[in-house]
Amino acid sequence: MLVLVIVATAFIRQPPPHKLTYLQLVIPKGWPRPTINIFANNPLTEEGFQLGRKLFYDARLSRDSNFSCAGCHQQFAAFATYDHDFSHGYNNSFTTRNAPGLFNLAWQKELHWDGGVNHIEVQPLSPLTAENEMATTLADVLKKLKRDTSYIRLFKIAFADGSINSQHLLKALAQFTGSIQSYNSRYDKVKRGEDTFTVSEAEGYKVFSARCNSCHTEPLFTDNSFRNNGLFLNKKLMDKGRMGITGNPIDSLKFKVPSLRNIPLTFPYMHDGRLINISKVIDHYRNGIDTAQPTLDPLLKKRLVISNQEKVDLMSFLLTLKDDVLTHDPRLKQPD
Amino acid sequence: MKTTLRLFAVYFSLFFFGVVSVKGQHQPNIKITFVNYTNGYPLVLDSGFTNCWKENFTVQVFKYYISNIGLQTTDQQIHREPNSYHLVDERDSNSKSWSFYLPAAKYDSLFFLIGVDSLKNVSGAQTAALDPLNGMFWTWNSGYIMFKMEGSSPQSSVINNKMEYHIGGFSGVNSTLKKTRLALSETAISVSDKSLTEIIVRFDIDKIWQAATPIKITDTPVCTTPGTLAAGIAANYSHAFDIIKIVQQ
Ligand code: HEC
Ligand code: HEC
Repeated sequence: MLVLVIVATAFIRQPPPHKLTYLQLVIPKGWPRPTINIFANNPLTEEGFQLGRKLFYDARLSRDSNFSCAGCHQQFAAFATYDHDFSHGYNNSFTTRNAPGLFNLAWQKELHWDGGVNHIEVQPLSPLTAENEMATTLADVLKKLKRDTSYIRLFKIAFADGSINSQHLLKALAQFTGSIQSYNSRYDKVKRGEDTFTVSEAEGYKVFSARCNSCHTEPLFTDNSFRNNGLFLNKKLMDKGRMGITGNPIDSLKFKVPSLRNIPLTFPYMHDGRLINISKVIDHYRNGIDTAQPTLDPLLKKRLVISNQEKVDLMSFLLTLKDDVLTHDPRLKQPD
Repeated sequence: MKTTLRLFAVYFSLFFFGVVSVKGQHQPNIKITFVNYTNGYPLVLDSGFTNCWKENFTVQVFKYYISNIGLQTTDQQIHREPNSYHLVDERDSNSKSWSFYLPAAKYDSLFFLIGVDSLKNVSGAQTAALDPLNGMFWTWNSGYIMFKMEGSSPQSSVINNKMEYHIGGFSGVNSTLKKTRLALSETAISVSDKSLTEIIVRFDIDKIWQAATPIKITDTPVCTTPGTLAAGIAANYSHAFDIIKIVQQ
């Protein structure tokens, strides 16, 4: 019998066409629809997601097999690098920007602090090939994957023609990162009527709505625009943000407004991680803004007036944006 | 066992239909060939040439995208090559020519885009000519490098006398996308179903240096970001193409 099975499987060289399990992005109640469908040419499936997950956690995607995506994007930190202004990359190097948390990417039009990446599928090309990140080449990664029987199997299951190529690699990674969603913080539960704010949180929410919401707009806590919030130019990095992409001086020192979801987990803050805690961030908006900058956002031309009591309340509100469901989601953990 | 049999049936019918559909398909009857020239001769990689400013240079890498190819008939009908994306790479002779099928008619012009259209620059991971494996995709500022020339020149002040032009950018005033239209000849050419017509297009590198944006290696040995300079170089080479020969068999 066994022999028969072996003979039969040898005969059927190709696995029989199987059904893919299609998945759907959750659009939480009251949220806008994403402006573009990042899965339009990359149908989200359980099989693609699981392949992407394995790739995301696999350090062999770097030159010396020490750096996985997950090394810099840690689940317990909402997929930011916990407690690091800059992350460690290949050969004792550092990144030159702070690693942002990864969630709700399906609502972003452009990725990276300067919006230089125009599609989630091509994003991994940047960390994979950067000398101070994973320092490898696509060709090298594909060579490693093609030698691995478990990847041969997983690519076959996830994609129609089953081959291990750059497009499938990038699409699988996009299925994983694009499915990381955050909509279960205490703030969300309050909005859904499943929880209530404390008095201080409720006061802080008022301060937030008046002073911060115009840029860190609910429910995503970003309006996805590029703005200058008045940080002094970091002379070591000379990072002018959006201008590096557009070449237009009106974009000098503008950076993507980051989401404030999971903010208690993603310190230190700003594109270069210069502010170590939320208290310092609020002090920046109260009295640290460099009002001499020509591209400073008009909303911040007058520094924000926030009393000490309001600051305390605002801080307790911001703590409600932490999403424990995301950080403990077993589907997003390192696969066994 | 039953499933095996059923599979055989499936394979058999697939095979059968495969044969039928191939029969229904047309043979390619038009061939496009690109040849790169400098100093009046076909470019030879790794050997010395001189530009109009008397600067010496050697080319090591010479690649560019040609896409969205079409031909127009004498009665203004346009026929396009399906899925028309090609990376012409001087190192790879197979990359410099390809064929496809055109409905039989009289054609009087050939047009194509030098570069990759903006849609494909923003649509995520692609394959074949557009595969990022080809080293023609920027990672820090997503988009294709439309034209790449690398080499060296004693006139270059950059380390190792490098000369490096990576021309790209697909939107706004600094777009490097250039549509080119070339007349096929004084008299239109007849393309038939039975024979192959080959159109040989020349890319004259000499035209890159001296045009609306003069490029001297001494002053600009490197251009690797989208911007006005890149747009200027693209405008220069948009006039560097012409048809040198049409061969009808
Ligand atoms: C060495 C650390 C490091 C590694 C490894 C790394 N990243 Fe990142 N990641 C960063 C940094 C830093 C940024 C911010 C880059 C910027 O803005 O210029 C970032 C940004 C991103 C973003 C954009 C998020 C946003 O909101 O704009 C995504 C998506 C992402 N990384 C996914 C990945 C994937 C997938 C991998 C593995 C292929 C990976 N990263 C590997 C450090 C890293
Ligand atoms: C004019 C728009 C604007 C307003 C108003 C604004 N911010 Fe920001 N915020 C930004 C921008 C832009 C950044 C990114 C700046 C950078 O890194 O260079 C940012 C960054 C932050 C960060 C860092 C997040 C991270 O992941 O690094 C925090 C925290 C923050 N803002 C909180 C607030 C709070 C609290 C308020 C209200 C008191 C506020 N912001 C008001 C535009 C704004």
